[in-house]
Amino acid sequence: MTVQLISANHAAAMAATLAGRANRNARGFGGGIYPITPQTECIELLAKQEFEKGGVIPVESEHSAMAVCMGVSLGGARSFTASASNGLAYMAENVVAAGMYRLPILMMAVNRTLGPPWNIWVDHGDTLMLRDSGWMHIYCEDNQEVLDSILFGYRLAEDPRVLLPIMVCQDAFVLSHTMMQTDIPDQEQVDRFLPDLDLPHRLHNDAVTVGGLDFPHETEVHRAQHQEAMDGVAEVYAEIQDEFEQIFGRRPADRIVPYRMEDAKYAVVSMGTTALTVRVAVDAMREKGIPVGAVRMRMLRPYPEKEMIEALAGCEKVAILDRDISLGHGGVLWSETRGTVPPGCVVQGTMLGLGGGDIRPQHIEEVIEDLLERTEDGSPVIKEVM
Amino acid sequence: MQEPVLEGCFKTDQELTDPLLRPGNTNCGGCGMSVAWNMLSHARGKHELQVVIPACCGIVTAGHYPVSSYGAPTVASTFASSAAVAAGLAHVMEMNDENKRAVCFAGDGGTYDIGMATLSAAAERNDDILYICYDNEIYGNTGGQRSSATPLGATTTTTPGGKKLQKKDITAIMAAHRIPYVASVSLAHLEDTRRKMQYALETRGFRFLHVFAPCPTGWKSEQAEGIDLIRMAVDSGLFPVMEIFDGVTTQINIEPSMSDEALETYFSSQGRFKKNKVDIATVRAAIDANWARLRRGVS
Amino acid sequence: MEIRLHGRGGQGGVTCAKILAAIYARLGRSVQTFGDYAGERSGAPVRAYTRVSDQPIINRNKVYEPDHLVVLDPSLLGHDVIAGLKHDGTLLVNSDDEPENFDTDFRAFKLAAVDATGIARKHGIGTRSVVIVNTTIAGAFAKLHGLSLDELHEAYKSLGLGSNFPAAKEAYGAVKIVEADSDAREAVEAVLAAEAAAAAEVADEKRQILPLTEHVESAPTGLKTGSWTARKPSYVQNLAPCNAWCPAGNDVVEFIQAVAKPNNEAEASKILGRSTPFAAVCGRVCPAPCMEGCNRREYDGSVNIRGLERWIADAAPVAIAKEEIVPQTNQKRIAIVGGGPAGMSAAYALAKAGHKAAVYEGEDKLGGVLLTGIPEYRLPSKDLDREIDAILDLGVESHCGVFLDANSVADLAAEYDALILSTGLQKLRDLEVPGSKLEGIEQGIRFLHRANLEGNVELSGHVVVLGGGNTAMDCARSALRLGAESVTVAYRRSHEEMPAIREEIEEAANEGITMLMQRQPIAFHGSGKVGAVELAVVELGDPDESGRRAPIVTAQSSQLDCDYVILALGQSIDYSRIPRDWEIKGESVNTGNDSQFVFAAGDVATWEGTVTHAIGSGRRAADMARAAFGEDLNIFQRPDREKAVPVTDIRLDHFLRSDATLDRLEPVETRRRSLVEANQGLPDAEESHRCFSCGHCTACDSCLVYCPEGIINRRSGGYEVDYSFCKGCGICVEECPRKAIEMN
Repeated sequence: MTVQLISANHAAAMAATLAGRANRNARGFGGGIYPITPQTECIELLAKQEFEKGGVIPVESEHSAMAVCMGVSLGGARSFTASASNGLAYMAENVVAAGMYRLPILMMAVNRTLGPPWNIWVDHGDTLMLRDSGWMHIYCEDNQEVLDSILFGYRLAEDPRVLLPIMVCQDAFVLSHTMMQTDIPDQEQVDRFLPDLDLPHRLHNDAVTVGGLDFPHETEVHRAQHQEAMDGVAEVYAEIQDEFEQIFGRRPADRIVPYRMEDAKYAVVSMGTTALTVRVAVDAMREKGIPVGAVRMRMLRPYPEKEMIEALAGCEKVAILDRDISLGHGGVLWSETRGTVPPGCVVQGTMLGLGGGDIRPQHIEEVIEDLLERTEDGSPVIKEVM
Repeated sequence: MQEPVLEGCFKTDQELTDPLLRPGNTNCGGCGMSVAWNMLSHARGKHELQVVIPACCGIVTAGHYPVSSYGAPTVASTFASSAAVAAGLAHVMEMNDENKRAVCFAGDGGTYDIGMATLSAAAERNDDILYICYDNEIYGNTGGQRSSATPLGATTTTTPGGKKLQKKDITAIMAAHRIPYVASVSLAHLEDTRRKMQYALETRGFRFLHVFAPCPTGWKSEQAEGIDLIRMAVDSGLFPVMEIFDGVTTQINIEPSMSDEALETYFSSQGRFKKNKVDIATVRAAIDANWARLRRGVS
Repeated sequence: MEIRLHGRGGQGGVTCAKILAAIYARLGRSVQTFGDYAGERSGAPVRAYTRVSDQPIINRNKVYEPDHLVVLDPSLLGHDVIAGLKHDGTLLVNSDDEPENFDTDFRAFKLAAVDATGIARKHGIGTRSVVIVNTTIAGAFAKLHGLSLDELHEAYKSLGLGSNFPAAKEAYGAVKIVEADSDAREAVEAVLAAEAAAAAEVADEKRQILPLTEHVESAPTGLKTGSWTARKPSYVQNLAPCNAWCPAGNDVVEFIQAVAKPNNEAEASKILGRSTPFAAVCGRVCPAPCMEGCNRREYDGSVNIRGLERWIADAAPVAIAKEEIVPQTNQKRIAIVGGGPAGMSAAYALAKAGHKAAVYEGEDKLGGVLLTGIPEYRLPSKDLDREIDAILDLGVESHCGVFLDANSVADLAAEYDALILSTGLQKLRDLEVPGSKLEGIEQGIRFLHRANLEGNVELSGHVVVLGGGNTAMDCARSALRLGAESVTVAYRRSHEEMPAIREEIEEAANEGITMLMQRQPIAFHGSGKVGAVELAVVELGDPDESGRRAPIVTAQSSQLDCDYVILALGQSIDYSRIPRDWEIKGESVNTGNDSQFVFAAGDVATWEGTVTHAIGSGRRAADMARAAFGEDLNIFQRPDREKAVPVTDIRLDHFLRSDATLDRLEPVETRRRSLVEANQGLPDAEESHRCFSCGHCTACDSCLVYCPEGIINRRSGGYEVDYSFCKGCGICVEECPRKAIEMN
């Protein structure tokens, strides 16, 4: 293990490289790559890596980048790509296809505002647009988590009980381009952690058509099976946490990450790097004697409903922060989470930092102060963070 | 004609037991794409294939998972993606030293239109793919809309007044990528078809076969007459049968007699040209101009 | 009211449902119509639905218990279709069968049948392979449900289907309706209930749907697409024009296909032996009508069939082994009067069938006109003798040098079980003009007889031959070989109308014989011996009954000096040698005595004048005799030329153009004065590869290669179609180069 000062984009590339090399004794590694700010650094570094078996293919579009990943995966190899924002929108059709084919592809997505007008800064709206594509979603808060989640993500996605693609998401610039010390594991450790990929539904010599057609009833059953795999993720996730810890000496975070929630009457739910800022604000409010805690949504899909209910069980008021907006309704995290609060609990949704505004602790404190004054649920509001 | 055709070498034991397109598929009777599959079944010999088929009649005919009409491992890709998916497959084959062939089998919609960028990119990368376009000049799977392969004058559901524009010259486009092999294939000319398919399977890098595939349903022609229509298209000069090596060396494989009778019968035998009469003289002039251009390129 | 329609992709079931809806909409009812959409293509079963109500329709489900059923394709009619149909419902089927002939299960409902396919095809709706029946059967529906034709017409117009209305109107009139048979009801209900229960069980099993992440085994769909259509191809043998044109009934196409195989002359010879003992003869002197009929003729020249026949006969003479002679339990004795080609062919056919034939011949040798009338340079006697000997080897008795008058013929008829009269044309046509009795004017037949058998002919100077048939050519060319310095043929019609074989005329001209056309002899001049012939110029008028233009003699004439004149003006039957009361009608002869079996063969029966006609006629007479003896056989009859595969049915694109291989001819300089055979025949049998093999499968694989389903397989020399998958597209039929497959 070595500690290096690198950006999270590079951490992602390093993780993908380690995971890719770990499959050298099986069917290798590949993927299509295509530049888009702010993930370009990641694929640039990846393109420089040497693999005993495999390598990435520079393609002409995100749509094809994911198509190449599907081809690589159907060939039985481990596959990786990265994208962001409108690139994800362009890729969307094949993101759905990879999900429905249940190929354990890993995509590092840097969350960036969808344009136009063009904006390169952080916003979760791009990956949330792909929320229902049958993929697992993990949202990271720091550099190490990005690296770890990619290794973790492969292990989870490729588990025979799961076999689902996974998006490992990180915030544009705030995380992607921010350099911090990052613990980079040895190849030997990664080799131990990631078994050779043996994808049961890869193309073998049998004359089998992957995909084809479904009648309505066949789709019902296929969706049910997909859902069942999602339902089984929690258990597999926990097992992998243990193994990860044994090998790397760090325990990956749970699917939701509570902070000072033991006695909290008030909670702030958030996702991505915002959660770190929330902790600073929570600490400040605690200093003032306010029993507030925080819950970070790490894995949005499959949605950790049970854990969320438990985490919020003692709350009287909950603020839910979204760095996204489902136009015409409100924040996605808000709409998904407000049903998990205990009866009588006041829920207020706030969208802040849309388009990459710099969310500072005082913004969170203002949200908490606002929450304390509320006696009933309000419509979600957009909070400007100028 | 040699008799039996090609010395009776069609329908080997392998073709009997492992046809690439099996009986029990749902293609229409008289489907030219089916004939193209049979030719490929014959040409493939010992080659193991992995096939990618984008959205088109070709994938609908496969049937419902887990059964399949296809006699080779096959992927149903999204419409625009066949060449990219095949690039991924070819990549894995190569890194695993598997001597197989990645084959895309796409219609004109998936080739000329929605898949053009993907196709062009794979060709530019010279990915190790055999790309076969079965061109029936129509979106057959969706019931007959125009594509950029639809010829001048053809009535489709989206060109009710007959198409006013020429079809793209796909062989020229592909040749401009300077890929190792581009060929146009006439199903009416067996020996030439077999030779090209075999050559395309043997060659490495990006190979493109343009198969002119009759579609009786879309063309509103007799199911039985598809092959004959192709023969007329070749004989009249409408469909040049040729091959281009490395984008440089062009060879004409079948010399057309430039028969006006064949041209007229070709148009009059298809319902798609009935409603909006095609001016044969205009078509003839376009054919002559195309051949003049081709002749200049012939080495 | 709920209507369910069952059709096949391409027949227009969904549109049909829409037409029905449109009609009711015009009547002010609420309607709803929709189809089942799936991935299947032209030919696959599809369903469509129409609802009609007085109330707004809110039901969005498919129809499971229809009031009425419309079945657009009779092959779809089964229990699964009628399941759920209400008791008082109606069942309308597109079928050319009478409703009374339907299974009782379907008779349990009010049943209507109309041949919508036939009507739609008649009105040209759809293509040959996919007839669109929707607009037609809707007419029958209207009748069944008491809707007026006017309403129907309006509905068609509103849908832009006005041009299809006549077909609908015809179906309106043609549909046949029978009331429900209530007795059948109970039985069918029980059957349907049992089937539904069984189907539910199967459906339960099918619910096991594999996850997409499973490693699955390869499995075909198992979809039997053969049920999509009733049109199926089948292999047939059609009449090849060469076979149709051959008066001898030779299986020309088969012997050519046989000799096309390497070293297969013996097999080809066997095929010839089935119909003719005279392959070597015909291969030399036959006018080859087969080559006239040959479909290659207009394309790039007829196959040189005569040359191939000769090649076979010379390489492997037709020889019937003793063991090939049919053991005959009812052996008969047949007298054959006349040992020419007809008589010998009859003898050959009878001997092969195990009978005893005895040939009576006036000459000292058998062969008839082949022996006496055809010069050596054209038919070497050794080749004729070989074939005559082969016939005698079968046990045919010969009585040569026996001249029979009419009485002796009648006696023979009484003595034998049957008699075949094959005396040919013995009476020679004379020319009744001034000077015709002069010396130096001889009948061609006599001249040839002398030249062939007596060898006492010497000529000199200028010889004039009068006539335009083969005898004229033989005389002219023989005259040249026997010393004439120059020879002129004068014929009253034009070159095109000369009955002689084309090649003979050409070769005669090549040898330096002058052809004088449209000349009629009107007098001979000379003192004692002929010194000149006076020839009138002839003009040609309208065609006479022979199809040739009638000669009209003009007043203009000229004299042609000559030293010898040969008359080759034709022959006819010498009735003095036939019992007076015998009546010849083709091969049948009525002797007035029913217990006597007498037949005629050759020119005496048909007056057609060629060896090939004689062979066919002899064979037919022999067959007729055998039939008269009570044998069960198909009497040989010349095929109907109208039934032969026309050239338009040959896929000419499949064949490269190539010139015919011509016979090798002795150079003119050496042959014109010599009796050596002028024509040396073909150098090999390569010419056989030019044969289109019209109507006869050659196992060329075109069908197999082009079958889109890949379901045509080779089976013992032919092919087999797996009909369980055949979609009936007909490409195999269309691509067959030679019309050896047909759709039915």
